[in-house]
Amino acid sequence: MDSEPKTPQVLEFDIRGQICPASLLIALKEMNSCKDQLRNGEVQLVIKTDNRDATITIPDAVENMGYAVNVQRVDDYYVIVVEQGH
Amino acid sequence: MGLTLTAYGVIMPISLILGGAAGFIMHRAGFCMAGAFRDLFLFRQTFMLRQLLLLVVVSMILFEAARLVGLLPLYPFPLLGPPTLASLAGGALFGVGMVLAGGCVVGTLYKAGAGSALSAVALIGLIAGSTLYGEIHPWWGAFARATILGKGRLTLPEEFGIDPLLPITLSVAVAAVPLCYWIRTGKLQRRSAVSGYVQPWLAAVLLALTGLFSYLLVGMPLGITTAYTKLGAFVEQFIVPGHFAGLAFFKGLPLNYLYPLTQERLIGGPGPAFDAVAAVQYPLLLGLVLGGLLSAILAKEFRFYFRVPLRQYGSAFAGGLVMGLASRMTPGCNVWHVFGGLPILASQSLLFVLGLFPGAWLGGKLLTRLIIRD
Repeated sequence: MDSEPKTPQVLEFDIRGQICPASLLIALKEMNSCKDQLRNGEVQLVIKTDNRDATITIPDAVENMGYAVNVQRVDDYYVIVVEQGH
Repeated sequence: MGLTLTAYGVIMPISLILGGAAGFIMHRAGFCMAGAFRDLFLFRQTFMLRQLLLLVVVSMILFEAARLVGLLPLYPFPLLGPPTLASLAGGALFGVGMVLAGGCVVGTLYKAGAGSALSAVALIGLIAGSTLYGEIHPWWGAFARATILGKGRLTLPEEFGIDPLLPITLSVAVAAVPLCYWIRTGKLQRRSAVSGYVQPWLAAVLLALTGLFSYLLVGMPLGITTAYTKLGAFVEQFIVPGHFAGLAFFKGLPLNYLYPLTQERLIGGPGPAFDAVAAVQYPLLLGLVLGGLLSAILAKEFRFYFRVPLRQYGSAFAGGLVMGLASRMTPGCNVWHVFGGLPILASQSLLFVLGLFPGAWLGGKLLTRLIIRD
């Protein structure tokens, strides 16, 4: 697996219904442990959450760390995508 | 007029409406008080604490204005006790509990209404913990009475024998400095992508108004935790009737006041009977759940989530239990003391809030070390 992947590997976390602030803590932990793969675009984090607060706190933390973030509403929850900064 | 106005006839619908409004607003704004204290330590984040300061300052102004024009015949309000070390210890324990439960006594209600299974479990813990206090009341009560601080007056102005106007004005003036700075630099605002977001500063102002209406129309600010004790007592009396009959705590009637609007004497306590505490707090409790539920349904976010790691259920129950117990040890909860007591500089409330900080710190440590890990 030395070749440059065309599409990033998606790491998905379903935090719906979990205790606060699980969404933010897990996002921070994964951003730290996949630092290099996120930076060179090999990995993309996808976090599903129903926590309204996480849709604000996670993007704040992500932007501070220099990655790109996108929050989207899907059905009755939110999907936060963290990937290589543009 | 053929219609007679009774105290319960006024209090019950008003409490239901105020609870509904507060639950709705808090859900929309993500106004989580457990998070406010927790995130100071976990993430060095003070955004929600700033909103709480705003809430307290607005309430200070509203309560003091109402007092000055004679609208608050009950001042300080009923059920406040003297400052003791029990309030400080209770605050610390409460801080641990609310972080482990993922919400305070009110947050648990609006979150349960919005479909959180964890909060529903925390609610059961709250009722259990509040009721468990009956077992330790004789010696804990003695500890509280033995550790009364200063002259044991209910508020700081009373402690120093001065009119509240000056200390309240000074407190507002001091707090206004950082608040004005935050307003000018946009630090009370934040962007959000969620549906129907209410800015927390607006929520803080609206919640302060809710507190004022409660004080004016019910006779005291929002309080909820004795209702948990009553619910637990109601169950306990059937399970262990002999034991229950011997518990002195449930026979006490700490609420005893002349209801300003009808001049009726209202009496109530933690026992299972339907009394004044029930008339004030049961509708409030129901309103908070319904407010959260309504907000989540209208935002199309209502969904019952229950597939979460088992240890989080354990945390929610244990947190609820500790928080319930602490709310009776203090006595009073975060909403009672932050929305109601701090704005009149109640000594008990100051001690309770002081205790919340180390408690929330410890709760955050336990939460990140033991509960949230994958």
